[in-house]
Amino acid sequence: MLPLILREISFRKGHTTIMLCGLISVTALMTAYLSTESAAERETKRVARDLGFNLRILPKQTDMDLYWFQGFSDQTMPEATVERLANYQGVFMTYNHLMASLRQKITMGGGDVILVGVAPTITSPDKKKRPMGFTIKARTLHLGYQVGQRLGLKSGDTLQLSGHDFKIEKVMVEYGTEEDVYVYGTLKDVQGIADKPGQINEIKAIDCLCLTADQDPISILRKELEKILPEAKVIQDRVQADARARQRQMVQRKFEFLSPFLMVCGAIWVAVLSALNVRERRSEIGIWRALGKGGGFIAGLVIGKAMIIGFFGGFIGFWVGNSMALEVGPSIFQITAKAIKTEWSYLVWSLILTPLLAAAASFIPAMLAVTQDPAETLRES
Amino acid sequence: MLTCESLCKYYQSSKGMVKSLDEINLSVSKGEFLEVRGHSGSGKTTLLLTLGAMMHPTHGKVVFKGTDLYRLNRAERARVRSSSIGFVFQMFHLIPYLDLVGNVLAGDDGNHSGAHSKSEALLQELGLGHRLNHLPNQLSAGEKQRVALARAMVASPDLILADEPTGNLDPENSKEVCRHLKRYQEKGGTVIVVTHGDAVHDFANRTIDLKAGEIISGPSLDHQADEA
Repeated sequence: MLPLILREISFRKGHTTIMLCGLISVTALMTAYLSTESAAERETKRVARDLGFNLRILPKQTDMDLYWFQGFSDQTMPEATVERLANYQGVFMTYNHLMASLRQKITMGGGDVILVGVAPTITSPDKKKRPMGFTIKARTLHLGYQVGQRLGLKSGDTLQLSGHDFKIEKVMVEYGTEEDVYVYGTLKDVQGIADKPGQINEIKAIDCLCLTADQDPISILRKELEKILPEAKVIQDRVQADARARQRQMVQRKFEFLSPFLMVCGAIWVAVLSALNVRERRSEIGIWRALGKGGGFIAGLVIGKAMIIGFFGGFIGFWVGNSMALEVGPSIFQITAKAIKTEWSYLVWSLILTPLLAAAASFIPAMLAVTQDPAETLRES
Repeated sequence: MLTCESLCKYYQSSKGMVKSLDEINLSVSKGEFLEVRGHSGSGKTTLLLTLGAMMHPTHGKVVFKGTDLYRLNRAERARVRSSSIGFVFQMFHLIPYLDLVGNVLAGDDGNHSGAHSKSEALLQELGLGHRLNHLPNQLSAGEKQRVALARAMVASPDLILADEPTGNLDPENSKEVCRHLKRYQEKGGTVIVVTHGDAVHDFANRTIDLKAGEIISGPSLDHQADEA
């Protein structure tokens, strides 16, 4: 049957071209859209990650009045707590990017600073997520803008704390927040300076982004934490959490509308062209039936043709769509060009789904062909 | 080999019931060349399609090689057509995107080895050996009808049914087509041709006339009795 279909395809070049163009258009638009959508999602994740941690896990006995007043907990908990949390099965379903820290107020250069010792971020071993924040090397410090200004220190200078020399790795830009009076070091170094070995007073995390608007995220997070760390409590920065959720939902809503719309347009296009093709081939279908060919053969001619054109439409459409995404995407979708890349998995999906879409769309025309009365056709002509 | 009894085909039209075939009784023996004559609208094509397992009659039965065709299901009737009946039509009905060999092979039921070489041989025999790879739109009407003949013959069917095979041909080509049908009959095949012209008359060994769906002349069932 394949040679027959190929000959018919090459014989009716006009019809083939129009059908192919339709499928190329649909696949190209889908590919371009999905490529930019993937890029947008990656960007969303990056932007959300840059928003920072939005969960804080604190020792349960923390005086919250004092916490909000001074910016850190007056209580501590063992450093092993974060390991215990990370090792709890399924914790990364709810919490992501766990980062333990010890925060302490000290006096430096005649003024108060918040000394923050941070441990490396722990991420889910199953998901290859990039750690958030910056990496601090041992015996180095990152100074907040205000601290740097007050002490007159710059990158490469040395600062002595608790009898140890620390190299100033970086003086941060002015954030206009309390971070301007922060001094960051490694957890171990800060534990030494604060004389609190093996202690932390905060674990920062990000929620899973999987909760819908009608759910109360904080109650779910608290219920979960109660099972794992009964000695701790969790608070959520609602401003950051809401911004993150809104961005994610906005991208999803666009996708939910456009994809089915494109699919339906493509299906209608193929269905109409298949129906016209069947109409044009009435006499041929009549003679095939007269020659004893069954309904499966006739349906195979129509659907097989649609699938073959769909295969090529999928292949060409992928390349057209990919080029559109790479060339035009950044200006249309306002996404950084770097985020858009060739999504090879879409090639595979194009080669599978476009023929299936074409086959599904030509199903009704194929059934019309099968049910066509050959005697009627042959009698008419 | 082929009999029909009380064969009726009625249509409902806006002007009432149309009797396209009315109580047709007919018997055709193996090796016979039967001409069915009639004017346009006399029911010739309906008779041919009904005999060819293509059109379900309103009443009556068609028995082909001992089998009541319309007691078979669609797929079984399709198999009978594929293996035992060849069709030739006035409008040729060639597959436009297949070359001549491809068109002839379309008539093969797939159960014959060497069908390709047989197709070529048939086309050679019909004087089309030099055009094997041509498409139908490159042929004259007479050539197209010879391709249709080859297609009808390629599976060596017991019966060839031809609907106005000379209707679109000039006298010379008409005779040519009739000669090929006659040759097929002489080799043991059975041929039924419906026509409104005279071109076939000299080649047929029996003629019946059809008018308003009824046989008005020529032997029908009695002929079979005589043959027996």
